[in-house]
Amino acid sequence: MCADVRANAGDYAVGDALDRPRATGGRAPDVFRVGGWVPMREFRDDEAVDFVIVGTGAGGGTLACRLAEMGFSVVALDAGPYFRPLEDFASDETEQTKLYWLDHRITDGANPITMGGKNSGKAVGGSTVHFAMVSLRFRPEWFRSRSALGYGVDWPLDWREMWKYYAAAERALSISGPLTYPWGPKRPRYPYRAHELNAAARVLALGAERQGYRWTETPLATVSAPHGRSPPCVYRGFCRFGCATNAKQSALTVWMPRALAAGAEIRDLAMAGRIETDPSTGLATGVHYYRDGEWRFQRARNVVVAGYAVETPRLLLASQTSRFPDGLANRSGLVGRNLMTQSNQAVFGRMEQEVRWYKGPPSLTISEHWNYEDRNKDFFGGYCWMAQGPLPIEWVTVQTGARGLWGERLREEMTHYNHQVGLKMVGEMLPDERNTVTLADEVDQYGLKVARVTYSWSDNDKRLIQHALDQMHESLSLAGATHLFRQEDDTNHLAGTARMGFDADHSVVDADCRSWDIRNLWVCDGSVFPTTGGVNPSLTIQAIALRTADRIRDLAARGEL
Amino acid sequence: MNSRGDQQVASLGGLLAVLTGVAVCALVASRNAGRRPTPPIRRHVSVPATRTSAVALAGAARTLAACVACDSAVEHYRGAFHNKSMWLPLISAGLSVVANGSGMKAQGGRSRSRRVVNQLALLTGLVGSGFHVYNVTKRAGGLSWQNLFYAAPLGAPAGLSLSGLLGLAAERLRAMPVDQRAVDSDGTDAAERAGRALAVLASVGIGGTVAEVWLLHLRGAYHNPAMYLPVAIPPVAAISLAHAALGEQLPVLVAHRARRARRWLRLTTVLGWLGSAFHVFGVSRGMGGWRNWRQNLLGGPPVPAPPSFSALAAVGLTALRLMERRKHD
Amino acid sequence: MTEDRYPGYDVLSKQAGLSWNEATRRTIEQRLDIRQEPQFFDAGQWQTLGALCDRIVPQTGQRPTVPLAAMLDARLTSGRTDGFRRAKLPEQGEAWRRGLGALDAESQRLHSRRFHELSVAQQDALLLAVQRGDATCEAWGDMAPAEFFSHRVLLDIAAAYYSHPSSWSEVGFGGPASPRGYVRMEFDRRDPWEAAEALEADPDSALRAERENRRVR
Repeated sequence: MCADVRANAGDYAVGDALDRPRATGGRAPDVFRVGGWVPMREFRDDEAVDFVIVGTGAGGGTLACRLAEMGFSVVALDAGPYFRPLEDFASDETEQTKLYWLDHRITDGANPITMGGKNSGKAVGGSTVHFAMVSLRFRPEWFRSRSALGYGVDWPLDWREMWKYYAAAERALSISGPLTYPWGPKRPRYPYRAHELNAAARVLALGAERQGYRWTETPLATVSAPHGRSPPCVYRGFCRFGCATNAKQSALTVWMPRALAAGAEIRDLAMAGRIETDPSTGLATGVHYYRDGEWRFQRARNVVVAGYAVETPRLLLASQTSRFPDGLANRSGLVGRNLMTQSNQAVFGRMEQEVRWYKGPPSLTISEHWNYEDRNKDFFGGYCWMAQGPLPIEWVTVQTGARGLWGERLREEMTHYNHQVGLKMVGEMLPDERNTVTLADEVDQYGLKVARVTYSWSDNDKRLIQHALDQMHESLSLAGATHLFRQEDDTNHLAGTARMGFDADHSVVDADCRSWDIRNLWVCDGSVFPTTGGVNPSLTIQAIALRTADRIRDLAARGEL
Repeated sequence: MNSRGDQQVASLGGLLAVLTGVAVCALVASRNAGRRPTPPIRRHVSVPATRTSAVALAGAARTLAACVACDSAVEHYRGAFHNKSMWLPLISAGLSVVANGSGMKAQGGRSRSRRVVNQLALLTGLVGSGFHVYNVTKRAGGLSWQNLFYAAPLGAPAGLSLSGLLGLAAERLRAMPVDQRAVDSDGTDAAERAGRALAVLASVGIGGTVAEVWLLHLRGAYHNPAMYLPVAIPPVAAISLAHAALGEQLPVLVAHRARRARRWLRLTTVLGWLGSAFHVFGVSRGMGGWRNWRQNLLGGPPVPAPPSFSALAAVGLTALRLMERRKHD
Repeated sequence: MTEDRYPGYDVLSKQAGLSWNEATRRTIEQRLDIRQEPQFFDAGQWQTLGALCDRIVPQTGQRPTVPLAAMLDARLTSGRTDGFRRAKLPEQGEAWRRGLGALDAESQRLHSRRFHELSVAQQDALLLAVQRGDATCEAWGDMAPAEFFSHRVLLDIAAAYYSHPSSWSEVGFGGPASPRGYVRMEFDRRDPWEAAEALEADPDSALRAERENRRVR
């Protein structure tokens, strides 16, 4: 169909993971050992498995593991390679862009979203392979933000039930966090202790204390003491470029090994192109996917889409038929709508002391003050801010992007690298039907229509951002930083585009992540978020996946699958 | 299966590390033992219990000082000796090792230099505690878990003070007149009272060490069940020792309690050395293992710390001997 | 030019040590082994690009020069992309070819000379105009000059420079770090395998820092 369909085109120096599938012939890579393998059960394409899952990140990876452990037959497809971190990961920002989804996309709108490292992943394990490991719970009120806080829409999930699944996810991921968390209802002690703070994190603490706000150590999915085959974190600081230590508790190192042990099959470098539906029953029958030079078709009794907020609607829209002319599960017309990102603005400054923010996980401290404080706000939604530790390329991109620096000025600024500090927000943006993922006419290397991602900030978004920038500015300056400047244009995580809800007219899936229209089609990733909250989404995605697995087990037991 | 093979390799490496650790500890211990005069009084009635106890105490003071010297060397090196006074515990503890080593001979009387060195250790420990408290409280978060876990350890300098106290006690015992047989109105003599005081000191010392271990093993999330041992066994030893010293002093009861305390103290002694071996294994589990010792020795579990349990248990055993001196002499 | 803040520090001195793993060694080796002739650009574009790189990241220090134009050419040849395209910009290779041509055309229009023949001051003035969007010649086509400048020129050239070990040494970045990471996380602390900084106020500190930096492995 296409000449070069390498996962990511480019001149990557290390390993053959991108060249040909590794998980074949009854074995899959052992992520904890150089050149290692573990046995893997395999299914035939024409054998209808219980579940074929598209995507193996926070949503799909978690679900694949749990469903396999419950005894279902599971095939999980991922468009990306199956890495062994110990041998495939270089300590290098450029080389490690091989972890991102760099297939072609178009971005537009008044505030086009920068795609790449902050909002995508293309590897077995998805973006958890390179996420910053920040593992936060939603504020309970966010699950009913319309009725409790007056904006957005309510979730069909109850926070008390979610609290249980958060705890389960935190246990499974051995989250390292504080002994007591200062905001929200009581939660159990984190399984592992918080990490030692680096100087950049202490600046946040200083600023928050002087502002009179609480702060705490950020709960992180990287272990502070040995766990299983993971050694403790060595504070190398390349977290967002893949953890070559395996201290990071990602879908690749936590859920995939468990899934394989429970009998799931993982197919790497397998790009899903279309979900097939039966014209008479309207039910899904399997997934067309491209692997190892050919298009293939995996038959399945259930299809789960877990490709995140861009690829999930893209696949649903691309699978349209005469029966479903607007794409699958799209009776409400909401597939690809209500795309949300999170505001990720920052304030940076300079300290007299050496900080060397490249050491340690980048966001070791956090203040969630404005997620839990509702007074004195001229906007809806909340935000938190965290300490920062960009590596040189990311840092120069801030200097050129936020300040337009070049020439002597740029090089001079860059020599202050080791004295730099920053606070960066994760802010809630409100759902808006005009923010969309649609199909463009251009096609990618597989011959599939690429996604067009359209995004504009609302007035509320802008007010929230302004508030946060002022607050972070004040905090950083109270902490003693000088030469302050603001990075006003940055966003990160995605959500929405296949929201869950109470009925078929106003949502794509129900509380169990099951599509209203096609009862054997499920969506399990950040796409199902009706609102996005002011915290990083990965833990919530995993908690929802754990719940979905339990619900599937219960439904199956009642014969309602 | 590959992963199993890998685990085998890992556990083999671990075992090897543990064995190496045990060997090193045994070597150190045997050297200590070699220098110690054969203590059991039954064979050498001519050497009084006060004197052999003084020798044993000096030995304990030396082991404790050695732990402090090694531990503060590692930790203060990690702190880049940014404050010149961070050299002080190294110097003081180093002197204590030498001085108390010389106190491990049965012959000879008191030594002024030993006294000064031990007084210095006592003082350095106290000053160090002050520094460490300051270091913790001045940070953002103050007396928070973060700072208790990762800032200067509050309890550690007390180890040096304890070593100084033990060294001084050894000197006092050494000076006790050999022919003293004066029994007080309560039926005890000075040596027995010294024994009881030492027992209390050892109990408190073990208690403090347990507190520090509890804190640091909490930091390690008790990821290995063996990490519960040093917060389970030594407290029993400390309590039974204190019970023997402070409970009703009927000889029958004392003998019974002393027997029980001895069992737990011996277990604590073994645990101290075993702890180091475990920590040697712990360092090997860090990324890059022992090859990356410049990171893992500093970031991993403290290899030289656990034998302080052994030293304090030795004090407890000595104290019991003194308390039951008349039975032996 | 900025004086050397980390005298004698060279990230590459750690290459054989514990901070670099095999994957990193191979990666950096490949980055440093770069062909100096263009494959993606033609000779004219190559001249313009060279002059442009010199203005965006002027390399006047004592450290080895980073072949920015060649690195960018190699990247474009490999086809590695950002993974997306802003609707206002053409695909990256096309954007670069057209942008370099337009830069030359602007230069011809204003000074009747090609961009690389202008004085440094003239080049800077022209680039500033492009950055502000004050470039009007029709060679830009439907591509917004300011958009090209901020989302291609600055992004790509700066990223190329700061992907080079030379720049890491210059800013005192610890560089690759696996299997060995870092131990000392506090303010004003460095591990012995990190760059030592020379303080401006204290001339002796430059010597001390250099001594420390020569020992970095």
